[in-house]
Amino acid sequence: MGKRSSGNNRRESIHRRGPAAAGMLILFSLLLAAVLGYAQIQERFPKPDFQTDYTRPDLSTPLPRAQVWEYVDIAVLIAALVLASYFAHRLRSRRKIFWLMVFSLVYFGFIRQGCVCAVGAVQNVAYALFNTGYAIPLSVIAFFVLPLVFTLFYGRTFCAAVCPLGAAQDAVILKPVRLSSTTAGLLGMLPVIYLGLAVLFAATGTGFIICRYDPFIGFFRFGASFAMVLFGAAVLLLGTVVARPYCRFLCPLGVLLDWMSRLSKKHVKITPDTCSNCRLCEESCPFGAIHKPNPSAQSPDKQTELRRLAVLLVLLPVIMFGAGWAGSRLYVPLARQHPTVALSEEILLENGGKRAVMTDATRAFRASGKTADELFEEAGRIQQRFRTGGWLLGGFIGIVFVFKLIGLTILRRRPEYEIDAGACFSCGRCFSFCPYEQLRLGTITQKELEEMEREGKNGSGAGGTSPMENNQNG
Amino acid sequence: MDKPSKKEGVLYRTARGVAVVSGIFALILCVLLIANFLQTQSVDPLNSGALTRLMEELRGNPEDTALKEQIRALDLLARKAYFTRQWQIRTGSYLLFGFVLALILSLKYMSAFRSRLPDLRKGPGPDRTWEEKLLSRRSLIYTGLGLFVLALSAGALSRSDLRRIGRAEKPTVSADFASAEDMRKNWPAFRGPGGNGVAFSEKIPMEWNGETGENILWKIPVPMEGYNSPIVWDGRLFLSGADRNNQAVFCYNTENGELLWRADLDDIPGSPQERPRTTEDTGYAASTMATDGRRVFVIFATGDAAGLSMDGTRIWAKNLGLPQNHYGHSSSLIVFEDRLLIQYDQNTGGRLIALNTRSGEVIYDRPREVEISWASPILVDTGSRTELILNSNPSVVSYDPVSGTELWNIRCMMGEVAPSPAYADGMVFAVNDYARLVGIDLSGEPSIAWEVIDDLSEVSSPVASGGLVFMAASYGALSCLDAKTGDLLWIEDFDDGFYSSPILSGGNIYLMDMSGVTHIIKAAREFEVTARNPLGEKAVTIPAFMPGRIYIRGYKNLICIGSGGDGQP
Repeated sequence: MGKRSSGNNRRESIHRRGPAAAGMLILFSLLLAAVLGYAQIQERFPKPDFQTDYTRPDLSTPLPRAQVWEYVDIAVLIAALVLASYFAHRLRSRRKIFWLMVFSLVYFGFIRQGCVCAVGAVQNVAYALFNTGYAIPLSVIAFFVLPLVFTLFYGRTFCAAVCPLGAAQDAVILKPVRLSSTTAGLLGMLPVIYLGLAVLFAATGTGFIICRYDPFIGFFRFGASFAMVLFGAAVLLLGTVVARPYCRFLCPLGVLLDWMSRLSKKHVKITPDTCSNCRLCEESCPFGAIHKPNPSAQSPDKQTELRRLAVLLVLLPVIMFGAGWAGSRLYVPLARQHPTVALSEEILLENGGKRAVMTDATRAFRASGKTADELFEEAGRIQQRFRTGGWLLGGFIGIVFVFKLIGLTILRRRPEYEIDAGACFSCGRCFSFCPYEQLRLGTITQKELEEMEREGKNGSGAGGTSPMENNQNG
Repeated sequence: MDKPSKKEGVLYRTARGVAVVSGIFALILCVLLIANFLQTQSVDPLNSGALTRLMEELRGNPEDTALKEQIRALDLLARKAYFTRQWQIRTGSYLLFGFVLALILSLKYMSAFRSRLPDLRKGPGPDRTWEEKLLSRRSLIYTGLGLFVLALSAGALSRSDLRRIGRAEKPTVSADFASAEDMRKNWPAFRGPGGNGVAFSEKIPMEWNGETGENILWKIPVPMEGYNSPIVWDGRLFLSGADRNNQAVFCYNTENGELLWRADLDDIPGSPQERPRTTEDTGYAASTMATDGRRVFVIFATGDAAGLSMDGTRIWAKNLGLPQNHYGHSSSLIVFEDRLLIQYDQNTGGRLIALNTRSGEVIYDRPREVEISWASPILVDTGSRTELILNSNPSVVSYDPVSGTELWNIRCMMGEVAPSPAYADGMVFAVNDYARLVGIDLSGEPSIAWEVIDDLSEVSSPVASGGLVFMAASYGALSCLDAKTGDLLWIEDFDDGFYSSPILSGGNIYLMDMSGVTHIIKAAREFEVTARNPLGEKAVTIPAFMPGRIYIRGYKNLICIGSGGDGQP
């Protein structure tokens, strides 16, 4: 314990310097944002020479964002990621993670109005990969790559404190309920499908559906369609009882971050020491990312399970092919989302006399001088791209499906409480529930710790009677 | 929960109070904002009922200053109300955000007092890891199968006409119109096959009398106004009609005049809200329809064009843009293979438009440097190629009907051109009143071989055959000229003038004057009248010639002439 005490002293020192540094950084960022934002306001057109009675309004519309802002955003992103990882791994401070999350919500959410965000950047990257004419901005690459790289090293600290979408949901968690592993597992397929669709639509130039259906963008910008505001409000309302529903059951980037986090070099742990299986952290995670120990768990029929596993491995290519085929059959309804294909079908309706009133799109097309045969030809090519894309989409979903099944076939024994590295957002809520963490922070004594461990093992402790209670936050 | 300290108790109660108050305010704001939003959606400040009514009143009384002021005031009021609502929504959103934030913060603070420590007295319970995995696996398999079936069903139920276009239609393009031989057996366009004024059918009636009913097989009232002429295909006669409110195509059984179907075309996309002004002698349906043997096509003075199946089903319909035409658009349609060709000469410049007969899509739309005209195009086979020839001011122009490429252009016309050109034996004949009649020799580089300036046609188109050219003037003169030299061979005056054009059939010229009398004259170098057949009513259209039959649209009736009729429909 002496060694830990020495470490504690060092951490205490950092702990004292941390808030000041973070505060300075936030203040600097806000001041810079205000100053640069104001400096960008200027005349877009020269004033007329003649005099009129007209009173010119004050300038309020800023110019499009200057290049420098891209670098500022990248710098802020890096700083936020570094701080989030530092707070989670070294300081193990939920409080600091929380305030960094608030900063990210304000800066990346309200000031930057949620764009460009790491979640949406997936689509830019997919579009750039399949459309050579698109020059992807540096900031977009940074927003896509940096969270993945940091996750590969430190787990999902990006989700914990940097993502404004996650922050908005985290802020409204009030009384989270625990979903069964079956429900959570099934809902966990949704982000996989959403990611596949988003990449397909982006790669084919159909549109960026993640941005179009971002439930929070309306709040960040104080303006959106009624339906989207309603959707956003519904997600936030749901988020009061189902913690971070978008992050867990919709976020397409979450799929990639989940994979990266499973491979991460370091990941936050519940305890700073060894787990004594005291059970105090059992209910601490609102996201269901803590696995209970199961030292005696075993399958009733080992041979059958092994055979199942072998069958799954053999069936992997078959399921992948079948899912790919099913995906390819969807090319007509999927391609219909592409504006060119949609326009072609509208033109066909009008030409066939099935619709009497022209739309703005068909009117504009008819004025363009382009022939419908050209349009239909282009639409046909797009449909073919969707047919190929449907194969890839289905195959991708099929692979994920099989690997999930394999994961459910293998039974891994856990001797102590463990964090699910893929699902854990590194939010630090569980830290303070661990008596060793309290001991590290000096809020309980060694004697109290031993007493608590004894109570835990005997099952005599009751919720709400521990000295731990007052040391939790979040 | 531990019993909170006195200070914590106060803070907790404060947080609870803030939560209740901010929650109530947030709820009220929500309701108000939704109500305001719905109101804003339903109100269009520039199209309010009261404003529209006042505007209508102003049209009837444009000098009413008080009314103008009233409109201005109401308009300002409506705009103010609209923007006030917008402001309310914006401000309300900020307020709502503030209250929700206060609600969340207070609730969060309150939730910090709630314990999330497990009840250790209950014990960890039995290990159900394996059962949970089993259940999850089964659920996942069923969900996967469900998604698989759903994807296949959605794919099977989704139909795309684009697939049909790509798969089926292209190979049949070449066969999707009638042959030239079938065209000659029917009356597919204005002035017959190719629009050249020559009938190829045999046993054409020579004598009839609409007043007595002699050789009148049937006679039915014209269903709607229109100066267009009938076209006939395989037992079906088609004509169009239109007035300020309606546009329609009518199809009749050629045997008995029974109306087979009527297709109303009042809902064409892009059609102008208000019908353009036309003169009484042109109207809204002056252009004659055309057919490719598979479909029929129509155009109106509104610029509305449509393709219909032989049973009256609309295949496509579109507006070509409102014609800038002070009399009304009257150029007739003609079909070449899979192209519907439209001479669209207007005040603002001319266009030659080719539409796909199957889809109505523009194949080409060539601008023409010409003045407005009312003439119709003709299609001629010169031996080496098919040419589309258009008469207009200032040029007679030939085009490749496939590509729309200009083949030759001879400046020789002036004025308001209405007569269509004619072709025979390598010569093109084009005329306009107060301009000239020209014979254009196509044997080498197209050039004017001769021209005459007397007794010119104003509306009626010439016809040529056997080295002769016939031309009817609107004041009642019919002249015959040598096609090679332009020498006048004979000229005869008639009691009535001619708007209808002469049609050549079986060595005779059939020419109907404005009173409805058809004069049958030998197509010869000497003038010789064979017959004089009254219709019994005025007519200015072109008769349709079919084997043993002539169909004429009079001012009042559509009349079928043949052998043995007694005039009773």
